[in-house]
Amino acid sequence: MILRFLDRFEEVMITFLMAAATLVIFVAVVHRYAAGLPIPGVQDFLLGLNLAWAQELCIYMFIWMAKIGAAYGVRTGIHVGVDVMINALSSEWRNKFIIFGLLAGALFTGTVGTFAVRFVHELYSTEQVSADMELPMWLVYMGLPIGSYLMCFRFLQACYRFIRTGSLPRPDHTKVEGIEAVEILHADDSSSKGGKP
Amino acid sequence: MTTAFIFGLLISLMLTGMPISIALGLTVLTFLFTMTQVPIESVALKLFTGIEKFEIMAIPFFILAGNFLTHGGVARRMIAFATACVGHLHGGLGLAGVLACALFAAVSGSSPATVVAIGSILLPAMIAQGFPKRFGAGVITTSGALGILIPPSIVMVMYAVATNTSVGQLFIAGVIPGIALATMLGVVTWYRAWKNDYPRLPRASFLIVLRTFKDSLWGLLLIVIVIGGIYTGMFTPTEAAAMSAVYAFFVSVFVYKDMTLKQVPKVLLDSANMSAMLLYIITNAILFSFLMTHENIPQAMAQWMIDQNLSVILFLLGCNILLLLAGNVMEPSSITLIMAPILFPIAIKLGIDPVHFGIMMVVNMEVGMCHPPVGLNLYVASGITHMGITELTVAVWPWLLTMLVFLVIVTYWPPLSLWLPRALGMM
Repeated sequence: MILRFLDRFEEVMITFLMAAATLVIFVAVVHRYAAGLPIPGVQDFLLGLNLAWAQELCIYMFIWMAKIGAAYGVRTGIHVGVDVMINALSSEWRNKFIIFGLLAGALFTGTVGTFAVRFVHELYSTEQVSADMELPMWLVYMGLPIGSYLMCFRFLQACYRFIRTGSLPRPDHTKVEGIEAVEILHADDSSSKGGKP
Repeated sequence: MTTAFIFGLLISLMLTGMPISIALGLTVLTFLFTMTQVPIESVALKLFTGIEKFEIMAIPFFILAGNFLTHGGVARRMIAFATACVGHLHGGLGLAGVLACALFAAVSGSSPATVVAIGSILLPAMIAQGFPKRFGAGVITTSGALGILIPPSIVMVMYAVATNTSVGQLFIAGVIPGIALATMLGVVTWYRAWKNDYPRLPRASFLIVLRTFKDSLWGLLLIVIVIGGIYTGMFTPTEAAAMSAVYAFFVSVFVYKDMTLKQVPKVLLDSANMSAMLLYIITNAILFSFLMTHENIPQAMAQWMIDQNLSVILFLLGCNILLLLAGNVMEPSSITLIMAPILFPIAIKLGIDPVHFGIMMVVNMEVGMCHPPVGLNLYVASGITHMGITELTVAVWPWLLTMLVFLVIVTYWPPLSLWLPRALGMM
């Protein structure tokens, strides 16, 4: 139940951040050029808006997205490594290396998470704020410990599942999305190319 | 000694198959705890603030734009246009594939995405027309690599981030080499088709060319937005990327209507997933290069090479071999992020232009994507054609050889990449 909530949280969060960051930059750019247009009334209103914080907001949104998305990425198996050597080994040794790799991931992200907690804790006592939006910095960097610990948890989870079931999340290269477009092409093949020979 | 330790540790960690980002991070941590006096706090700060650059944020935007274009029907219309233009020549659909890849590369920043977008539509059509599977797979796998040479390009952004080079200059510098490589691949395709007498299409009437052009115009306009916008200074590269993402969304959903609003969250999620992975590698690679710089490793290597009186020709040859070897085991983003900070200072000391060096690295990455064991383009093509990797390797060799020849040209003839940005007064 909690796991399902966590899965959902990751997905919704990074989808939202991706969309929101794109929109923020889009609006800021449109605003920059629209404010230069001499439309009475509208121009004064646009010039009155200050969107200088857009870049900063975009950066922080993407950092949150990167941290939480990295954890989601462990679940989808998108973090690739150099598997040339271990693929050449017997499956027994290969499994050992895979478990080692997953535990190493958990160790690294766990350590970084602990660093991040200390880092955020120190910031909390300094009352630093960000340059443009004047958000408290500890809040901005809160994504780091959350993301790192989440990623650590995902590595441990992947390791546990691998030992239990022997299956590993891997991105599937053999399944190509967009392949359904083939039928569309064949359907209008004759019209777009002036008949097949 | 330190250098040997760092690289030894990094390589052995990588060989265990753990994610590259983790291998980089663990190397830095191990080094910190055992061998150095660098205050941990300064490293932690680098780890947390290293990617706070607006330029880096171009990467998620370009990935998002690419995903919308792949699924939104832009690729399909570009193929129709390319087919109408060159389908009647020797090589027919194959030649159209090269042109379509080049066009799509001009709106997308990733190679595998280009292979998926063009290949999943064109390859089945080629096989249905009677082309040997191998021929089609070879054309698309290698032409798809144009995705990272013709701007926009995610790998170029990575290089710019790693070496503080201007993204705009790199993008413009990639235009002519991109067109040159597309031409060379096209000539090989034409020659092989002519020799083996592969099927051609009837010549499309001018009206059809015009209509397919009009259909694909919405997609082609994106080239103007990205390249034109950056060149005239209307947008920064990151802004251009964001604009192209919004534009691609708009075209896919509202103009071409090949994508429904319901599919949009899935595209966003996939893009976020891919971007987060790349940003995670970037974070750890920045940490790694911070450590290297702190230990003066690239500078020491540069000094050593200069003391050996190493010539530029030899250095570039060495770089190419090193990068091609690395291309055997790692994917382009990681190679660029790890190698660029090491090789770049040496190149600068030897008087090599940063932009030229960047283009050379990108072409190296292209070659790496098309040959086993980790050529991502190969895997994607294998997914589309259901051909084995070994068979595909045989299939791509004529084009791969062409790319190697092209690599030599790019490496030893800098004006090919530097002429356009200079002529436009960008550098």
